[in-house]
Amino acid sequence: MSEAEPPVRKRSQPLVAVLSSVPMLREALAHTLEDIAEVRVFPAGRGDTAGLLRSLAPDAIVVDNEQEAEAAAAFAREADTPVVLVSYRDEHLLVLTDAGWEEGEEPVSAEGIRNALVGGLFGRARKEAPTR
Amino acid sequence: MRRTRILVADSLPIFRAGVRNLLARESDFVVVEATRLEDVVAAVADECPDIALVDLNLPPSGGVAAVARLSEACPTHTIVWSFEANPATVLAAIRAGASGYLHKEISPAGLVRSLRGVARGEAPLARDLATLMIGALHGLEERDRAREKAAALSPRERQVLSYVARGARNRQIAQALYISEFTVKRHMQNILQKLGLPSRRAAAVFYESAFEAEEPALTAGTSA
Repeated sequence: MSEAEPPVRKRSQPLVAVLSSVPMLREALAHTLEDIAEVRVFPAGRGDTAGLLRSLAPDAIVVDNEQEAEAAAAFAREADTPVVLVSYRDEHLLVLTDAGWEEGEEPVSAEGIRNALVGGLFGRARKEAPTR
Repeated sequence: MRRTRILVADSLPIFRAGVRNLLARESDFVVVEATRLEDVVAAVADECPDIALVDLNLPPSGGVAAVARLSEACPTHTIVWSFEANPATVLAAIRAGASGYLHKEISPAGLVRSLRGVARGEAPLARDLATLMIGALHGLEERDRAREKAAALSPRERQVLSYVARGARNRQIAQALYISEFTVKRHMQNILQKLGLPSRRAAAVFYESAFEAEEPALTAGTSA
């Protein structure tokens, strides 16, 4: 009998971590992302965001709070994970890039967040794909 | 069963979608959406909603103006919601005709409960806002009492007091009002006597409470 292999987490869909202080964001996103991602929502401001993200190892992150955004950005730079910051006050989405936070062209809508996430996930997949 | 018609007036699609998705799971609500005041006006021309959930920053002129328009046109129960709320804003919304005021950070279950409560004639108000409101109402009462007392002052005494409140010295007040320093001192004595105050500093504080504390400065709620 061969030795048991270590558990390998297989995901059929990308895992999106949503760190939010606004429960209505979850309501809006759940419907739009349900067919393309597994969404896990966590209340913002509970501390040790970096630890939470390391444990969860999400494929993409959505935040709506600047403090969480900074913690998420630190994790995302290490793990090359797309992050979208929802700014309700300024009514725009910010996307984390190598150069920092850049204002996205998408509106602050569930579809806008989905599009920004998909863009980030595909961008990462392209980087990871072997070159011929 | 007649369903409760809810108008969600918010410029941000994320909140309209959130409420729409949330209430789609409930069998007793039907949702109509508006992104700005013009849409609200068009929606109520069609049919008055039972309840309107209005964003404080609804374009172009804000949620309070929208509440006033709704109150004129319909017997709709209106709830204003926002991220940041101060007592003056909450009071303005209620004076315009709002039945309640909620934070946008409200839980889905809390929002459904509030909407059902409004339909039964309740007035939902976030707990911390209720505390702020009570503080604001006490502030208004204090201001009214102070203004009643201030009515005993002559126009010149009130003018002198306004300079004192701004930290002016007697000499500066005398120069500004073209009167002698002695006259300013006499006015100050009369002011303190009429208001029953012990000091110049107390008189300055009194002036602020009577004439400058129009808007309580406490705030509640934060957001990105």
